[in-house]
Amino acid sequence: MASNIEQGKPSPEVSPNFSRRKFLKTMMILAVGAAAIGTMRGGIQSVARLPSATLSSFPSLSLVDSTGKPITTDSIPVNSPLGIQFPYPLSNEPNFLIRLGDKAGNDVSIPAVTVSIPENGSSFQSPGGVGKYKSVVAASSICQHAGCTFPQLRFYPPTSSTYPGKIRCGCHGSQYDPYKGFSVVSEPTRSPLPNVVLSYDASTDTYKAVSMVGPVIFNHLSDLSGGNAIGSPNTKVTEESA
Amino acid sequence: MKEQDAPLPIRIFNDPQPIPRRVPDYMRTRGGILYWTGALIMFTFIYEILTGLVILIYYEPSNAYKSTEAFLNTAPFGSLILTTHLYAAYAMIFLIYVHLLRNLLVGAYKKPREIQWLTGIALLAMTIGVSFFGYSMSGDILSADAVGIGQTIAGGFPYLGDYLRTIFFGTGTSVTLFQSMLAWHIILAAGIGFIFALHFFLAEYNTIMPSRKEAGYEAPALDRDDGSYKPWYPYNLFYMVQYMMLTFGFIFIIPSVLAIAPNVPVLFSPFPQVAAGTPVPPSFPAYPPWFLLFVYKELDFIMVDGLTPFWSTMIFVGAPLAYLILLPYLDSRKTLKLSDRPVTVAFSILGVFYLIGLSVWAVVSPGAQEPDIYVMPFFLIPAAVILPLSFYLSRRIGDVGLGLMNKLHVETSMAAWAVAALLLGLSSFLTGHMISVLGSSFTAEGLAIAVILTAMTLAEAVVIVEILTRNLHGRESPLEFLRVPKPAVLGLGTIGVLVAISAVNPSNVYDEAIYGIGLGMIFFLAGMLIREYRKSELGE
Repeated sequence: MASNIEQGKPSPEVSPNFSRRKFLKTMMILAVGAAAIGTMRGGIQSVARLPSATLSSFPSLSLVDSTGKPITTDSIPVNSPLGIQFPYPLSNEPNFLIRLGDKAGNDVSIPAVTVSIPENGSSFQSPGGVGKYKSVVAASSICQHAGCTFPQLRFYPPTSSTYPGKIRCGCHGSQYDPYKGFSVVSEPTRSPLPNVVLSYDASTDTYKAVSMVGPVIFNHLSDLSGGNAIGSPNTKVTEESA
Repeated sequence: MKEQDAPLPIRIFNDPQPIPRRVPDYMRTRGGILYWTGALIMFTFIYEILTGLVILIYYEPSNAYKSTEAFLNTAPFGSLILTTHLYAAYAMIFLIYVHLLRNLLVGAYKKPREIQWLTGIALLAMTIGVSFFGYSMSGDILSADAVGIGQTIAGGFPYLGDYLRTIFFGTGTSVTLFQSMLAWHIILAAGIGFIFALHFFLAEYNTIMPSRKEAGYEAPALDRDDGSYKPWYPYNLFYMVQYMMLTFGFIFIIPSVLAIAPNVPVLFSPFPQVAAGTPVPPSFPAYPPWFLLFVYKELDFIMVDGLTPFWSTMIFVGAPLAYLILLPYLDSRKTLKLSDRPVTVAFSILGVFYLIGLSVWAVVSPGAQEPDIYVMPFFLIPAAVILPLSFYLSRRIGDVGLGLMNKLHVETSMAAWAVAALLLGLSSFLTGHMISVLGSSFTAEGLAIAVILTAMTLAEAVVIVEILTRNLHGRESPLEFLRVPKPAVLGLGTIGVLVAISAVNPSNVYDEAIYGIGLGMIFFLAGMLIREYRKSELGE
């Protein structure tokens, strides 16, 4: 780097303690830094975004089968290991619909219980079973540990030789107890499955999903954001076998 | 076969040259910017890539107009990013024309730069193409017309028309139309990147074309480092960063000022117009973007009524392109003197005249059929005047005319500063106007505007005094006594403006325009500061 002295010009520096060049360099770094910060704020703030809420409140959706006929108690098999699921509250949020029974296949009445969330030490009130025998429950079918879904996350009936009466995720071994509000049975999950609050109309023997309680559905900012609304007063219950 | 006669790739592989090269001092002194018009284009291209990638995250081909409007109105800095993306593209096209004209006049297409010239022509065509697709992607009322014309022209290609129309514009549904245009926008941008890399490498390999005087007015004009050239760092780096700052400053300020200025004509509006299919008054002009106005007007000529739009475009766009492609081989003589090349000079002037003339004509009477009685004189009279005049002047003036380009350098440099001052003045006027609009209520925006306004006025004053006094005092400005305070004002000024615009919440078009003006100010101030550093510490 050629200095002024090398070029035969008198040095503009007035005292050896004051370096004009250092001062100019500092100013340049400030200016270029200001330009970089101002630009980067624009770029970062524009790219960094979160999904806004799709719905403002939980919709009340009737459970219907694929033909649009309402689901009745008898149309749900007891202790079915099949993935009987319906989306709620958004179309990319699947939930299990399970009619719980004992080993003999008789309905079991599921009480409302307080379920603790080990992840943050809080707890919530699970709604318990609804329906003719108070045996129908529903919860998110997205594993709270790493987001696996059916058939990795599945219900093992009480008659199963492995994990009887539990919901287990084949990805990493998390277990939940559907008889006790889908609470955590064994790690690695640190959070129970979010429960769907169902309402039952005894006069017509039909079911509705009305809200969610418990932790936020996995990979969602809130239960009501990060997906499309179902856009219908009904939500379709489908059955997958695996 | 002798080494220097081998094909270009073999010469490159056998004897790769050092990159980046050192350049002589006169390329960095006043007027030297004409040696770096390509670098300015590169800065605009870089800006396009960066902002384009952000917009790509938001753009939905299935929802083109609505997603563009949503990005504009609701995404943080969406308005600033979208409007500057448009104006950086405008700047890129404008600078390409300047770059082309300059290299045409100095004879940069001659040996050994023929391939470099051809890649440049390819870049011109691809840039017009990428701009066409980008402009059409907003799905507004003007783009719908432009797409229709584009489809007609592509569809008119003999035998392959239907295929080309489908390849470029999809199968006829709205989703495939915008999906195809998005794809081609990105494909062409990537293509520009690749060909630019080659173009740039060749520019370094062939050396930056020296002044014709240095080259003895003869091709091959090569710049030979005799060992006295100053190192690339810090001399060239600082010079480049200075001009990058100025380029970005313009890109930020111009569309931001237009975004808040009232009654901006449609042609220069930085925003998309109303959605396609919306009823508009008949007075609403069906303009294409300004850089395609000349193609638009050419289709109005009654003389080409018998031809399809494809063939008339082939004549009016294809012929000049073909001329540019063939030029290195049509004019392969060694001479670089303007006076020895009257045809090239006359065609350059005519080209500029036709380009501007057709564009202005299109603005003044859009969509009006033009009979031959207007069209023929428009093309023939300038040609009949300029061609003989060029021959006459080349004989008459001879070598005297050779100094013209050098004089032009100085004038251009002055013009750049004058434009800067003009813009700053306009900006401060508009921001001042906005303060009065805001009223007396104290807001973060009001504070930001006040600080920006002060900084602008100060910078404006410095620039104008500098320009006015330079000629009186030669290189020594009377502001010399401000040598320490001036950089301090510039440097701390950037921090001041940054603090001011930090208070701006990027939630609407107006606030983002204020932010853009402030950001442009910071880039200008930083550029001026680097100029100060180069002047006082690097002796340039």
